[in-house]
Amino acid sequence: MRFACDTGGTFTDLIVEDDQDRLHMYKASTTPADPVKGVLDALALAATDMDLSLAELLSRGEMLIHGTTHAINAIITGTTAKTAFLTTAGHPDILVLREGGRIEPFNFVAAYPEPYVPRALTFEVPERINSAGTVHTPLDEAAVVNIADTLRARSVESVAVCLLWSISNPTHELRVGELLDQHLPGVPFTLSHRLNPALREYRRASSTAIDASLKPLMGRYLGGLTERLADAGFSGRTLVLTSQGGMLDAGDVAQKPIHAINSGPSMAPIAGRHYARSDSDAPNVIIADTGGTTYDVSLVRQGRIPLTKETWIGQPFRGHMTGFPSIDIKSVGAGGGSIAWVDAGGLLHVGPQSSGAVPGPVCYGAGGTEPTMTDACLTLGYVDPDNFLGGTMQLDSAAAAKAIEDKVAGPLGISLLDAAGAIVSVATENMVQAIADITVNQGIDPADSVLIGGGGAAGLNSVAIARRLGCPNVIIPETGAGLSAAGALMSDLTHEYRATFFTTSTAFDDDGVNRVLEELREQCQTFVDGPGSGAESHDIEYTVEARYASQVWEIEVPLIDSTFANAEQLAKVVEDFHATHEQIFAIRDPGSVIEFVGWTATARCHVRPFSHEQQGDRGRLHTSRGRSVSGTRTIYFGGVGQVDAALYDFETMESSVVHRGPAIIESPFTTVVADAETTFQRTASGSLLMQP
Amino acid sequence: MTNTSMNDQLDGAQLAILANRLEGISSKMGNTLLRTGRSGVLNRAKDFSCCILTAGHDLLAVAESLPIHVLSGPDIMAASMVEFHPELHRGDAFLHNSPYHGCSHPADHTIIMPVVDDGGTHRYTLLAKAHQADIGNSIPTTYHGTARDVYEEGALIFPAVKVMRDYETIDDIIRMCQMRIRVPDQWYGDFLAMLGSALIGERELLALGAEVGWDTLETFTNQWFEYSEKRMIDAVREVPAGVHTAHSTHDAIPGTPPEGIRVTSTVSVDPEAAMIDVDLLDNADQMHCGLNVSEACTRTAAYIGVFNSIDHTVPKNAGSLRRIRLHLKDGGVVGIPRHPISCSASTTNLADRIVSATQRAMAELGDGFGMGEVGCFCPPSTSVVSGVDPRTNKPYVNQLFLGHTAGAGAPQQDAWLTMLHVGNGGMCFIDSVELDEVYTPIHVRTRRLVPDSEGAGRYRGASAIEVEFGPVDCRMEAGFVADGKIHVPQGARGGHASQPSEQLKRTGANDLEVLDQCSIVWVEDGEALVSVAQGGGGYGDPRTRDPERVRHDVSEGLVSRTRAADVYAVAITEDDEIDVEQTAALRGDRRHV
Repeated sequence: MRFACDTGGTFTDLIVEDDQDRLHMYKASTTPADPVKGVLDALALAATDMDLSLAELLSRGEMLIHGTTHAINAIITGTTAKTAFLTTAGHPDILVLREGGRIEPFNFVAAYPEPYVPRALTFEVPERINSAGTVHTPLDEAAVVNIADTLRARSVESVAVCLLWSISNPTHELRVGELLDQHLPGVPFTLSHRLNPALREYRRASSTAIDASLKPLMGRYLGGLTERLADAGFSGRTLVLTSQGGMLDAGDVAQKPIHAINSGPSMAPIAGRHYARSDSDAPNVIIADTGGTTYDVSLVRQGRIPLTKETWIGQPFRGHMTGFPSIDIKSVGAGGGSIAWVDAGGLLHVGPQSSGAVPGPVCYGAGGTEPTMTDACLTLGYVDPDNFLGGTMQLDSAAAAKAIEDKVAGPLGISLLDAAGAIVSVATENMVQAIADITVNQGIDPADSVLIGGGGAAGLNSVAIARRLGCPNVIIPETGAGLSAAGALMSDLTHEYRATFFTTSTAFDDDGVNRVLEELREQCQTFVDGPGSGAESHDIEYTVEARYASQVWEIEVPLIDSTFANAEQLAKVVEDFHATHEQIFAIRDPGSVIEFVGWTATARCHVRPFSHEQQGDRGRLHTSRGRSVSGTRTIYFGGVGQVDAALYDFETMESSVVHRGPAIIESPFTTVVADAETTFQRTASGSLLMQP
Repeated sequence: MTNTSMNDQLDGAQLAILANRLEGISSKMGNTLLRTGRSGVLNRAKDFSCCILTAGHDLLAVAESLPIHVLSGPDIMAASMVEFHPELHRGDAFLHNSPYHGCSHPADHTIIMPVVDDGGTHRYTLLAKAHQADIGNSIPTTYHGTARDVYEEGALIFPAVKVMRDYETIDDIIRMCQMRIRVPDQWYGDFLAMLGSALIGERELLALGAEVGWDTLETFTNQWFEYSEKRMIDAVREVPAGVHTAHSTHDAIPGTPPEGIRVTSTVSVDPEAAMIDVDLLDNADQMHCGLNVSEACTRTAAYIGVFNSIDHTVPKNAGSLRRIRLHLKDGGVVGIPRHPISCSASTTNLADRIVSATQRAMAELGDGFGMGEVGCFCPPSTSVVSGVDPRTNKPYVNQLFLGHTAGAGAPQQDAWLTMLHVGNGGMCFIDSVELDEVYTPIHVRTRRLVPDSEGAGRYRGASAIEVEFGPVDCRMEAGFVADGKIHVPQGARGGHASQPSEQLKRTGANDLEVLDQCSIVWVEDGEALVSVAQGGGGYGDPRTRDPERVRHDVSEGLVSRTRAADVYAVAITEDDEIDVEQTAALRGDRRHV
């Protein structure tokens, strides 16, 4: 039995894979002050549902995979460790200056961001390595010892060390580490070249500072999680999801906690890819996860999960760059709680402000006064006020309607229903723009894509989003409301190894490249034989980052072979580079030399084959809840008017029968809206497949 | 969205949708330039802009561009394209950098591309403007401060010259440029990046036109301008009525009067008519130097001065610009300089002084408006450097962006630290030391903020930044035109000025040598340039600054305790706490004395 548990801001989602490989989904409230409680509560719900004691349930589990927002929450709320930053003398303002750049050039209200570590806790280490990797100024060890004394006196809890050019010659950083061990025992530290051996000192310094600041807290949290699970009867392996879409043993994540920043959301594309493969031949998969305040989108191209090097915590240029690759998920302020408002010029906006979990939309009756996307959907009849979250929460339709009337319909001079429809349209457009940024703007035609709708509110406008994008198919998976937890069950033990080796298309160093690739292969093999042992299978994937001569931003090209044996292989990579460049940027420069810079090998150990072709109940959501809906409900579509929609029960719908809207398809976890032009069916794999 | 006929009005939702899509197109054009550019000035510093204009040359969407590049100028450039090439076809593109026909300055090579629908009608015009590392000037810098005219400047001038026909580049022009521009491969790569950017924009706009219909887009355009104008009317009505004149003076360089160039801006606000007039007539005639401000930059600088001073959420396009009236001098040093006078450094030095005078005049109209003067450009840390890289034996030319702050105090907030200069709005990146050391044979010794250097105020200006760097195993030529040493950036509404800029060279014997403010100097192996680039002036009386902000600055080592007491009248203890009683005494609060 395996458990996948994703802790979100409001709910903790749990999916249990039982010994027949059937899935069971549960949702418990998250307790922000004690997230482990939510994990144990969700497990207790599962135990009750399965007529077991919690200890009995846990004793059957071989693995618990955990997604957590603990790290990101600590950063956002400023509760990370008191961290010092040690850097090369003469360059104390790396974290202050960042890389420059700004959004909104006329906005003089927004404050310039404070450095991740204050200048007051920044210390200059007398030393300098130069760009060739040779020592320009030797390390002053006595000065480092003095700094260590100061850090102790000031009760510093963690230390980040980032020296210029430590990536070409790490001796100084290593020695600083030894001196800290010796003179500041028990205080954790992070060395930049070990954590993130990347060029550009701000990014490397920022990753190092963020990582160090999380070490004490994540060490405690993950230690506490494993301990309390063990106390409750769990003797299996605890794994934590990483920002890069894999999982690592909890102990390893405690050593490099920066990898847990996007733990959880990173799983949505993994689950999305799986469900797309079951029911679609489209080469590209758009995965959209609708939450209460954000809309997270990602794109899987040709089966590849996309990574980005530029991950910001907060807004670009106003937040902090993690300096680390992570699964490329774009998040915009659009969700069920997004607030609709009309500005002084008469323009309707939805978001980015959100009513949050508290007070929530007006219809929750918890004190919210501003109309939200959820209030609009209720007013339009899409959501059943008596059957929200399986009937556990009664919604106040009248209050929702009044708020929309007062704040939107009145100012715009349109009817209540048209106003509600407009709110959904604007929110839909914000979501469309988020997807356009990762598709159209990257040269990807949504017509070649399938849209996966995750999150409880995905069904409300996924059809409309797909239609606007020209996306021919929408899939709402049966586990869609807990997409990240479902993804966790499909994820692999993954580790990525990177090396920098410079060569060009005109003077290609086969031997050098082959040596680098061989070293990367060996590192992958060590991982496969170590943490990955016991996996059912594994594979290693190679890519190269390349650019035209004198560009500084690389694009990624997959390598088919892991050794270069003949000229045709190079010619193939060169042509792939030109083609990728032209596809993304509309031009190619065939006369230009191509520079190959970064080489990456990714080892994936498949813990359990998650079958694409499910047999019987394997991999399917098992439901024991007896409940069905039928009949019709009057709903409203902007530009069409009121229509009677047939009601269907998601969980008990017969598969492979094609229906046509207008219709509402409901389950305890989600509501899906289909208009008159939409056809839909439940597929053999359990998903709802829709054609806008 | 379905097609609508021309008479239908779009509702607020539809308007928002199309506005987002157009902004999306221009930001996608920008992304293409950043990712594919070859010179550091594009791919490391992001010194470029993209925008969309209507067929009638009205500015429609500018995304996140450099303000000085786009608010005005693209309109004049697009008009010159149509004037010189009355018949436009799909697949045409033009190279434009003529400051006499609307370009900001010759270093800003621009690709202009008409978007032509299936019926052959010119619908929109796209612009991708990118500052070049080199443009074939007589000396290896794109800012030729002392050029007596365009001939001495030496720039190749392209007044909307066709460089692409039917999607095929016209190689005659490219060969000319490659013969005349230093580092021709780098230039060609940047040229391709600009073309790619325009082609991406065209692809997107054609798709948008096909999807929603060109008539709907035209309806949108008109309504979007009306909406923007309405937002501007509301913003102008917030400003108190009045007339105020302010001055800002650029330091003297060869070719200017010995007292420098004083820029005068008179701002009149009429809230009832919802109009702002900026009068720049009372300024000197054009001069025999490279500081003359092109018409595009004069207009834009005045607009920036206004937009920096009011509600920042007003959309910037032809609609909101209807509410600003400009009065320019034909043949002025700011205004409309005429060929063959040089506008080589037109986007920065004197243009920044126009903005400064204008936003300080705005500040005098009422508390809550305007801003202090932003720090001056172009310090040695942003030199154009050149030489031969000993590691490859190849020549190099590039502009560094090694360190700048410049931000000024605003009515509700401290400075944005990394403004670069006021016309830039902080949009450019700062170079990574490691990246510059790889791509250029230099060693950066220090880069640090300077304590006690900020323009004090209720909201303070940025600290100055000191950068020291020199060549490695070779000699290096560096060109810069540094302002702000004599006439330092002033504060607004009682805010203080910041400190003077400095341009020095550290010799092999470790002596500091003062350099001319406008220099093209050789730096030998073992020597280093020392640049101090200042922050901007403060806003409001520093003695009214929130003591907690002062405490924070002291704790962060940006302001000393002495200065906190002397200038801000805030007493900070050795433990970085506010001494409340002492502070009250310093501030003359009678209740505590």
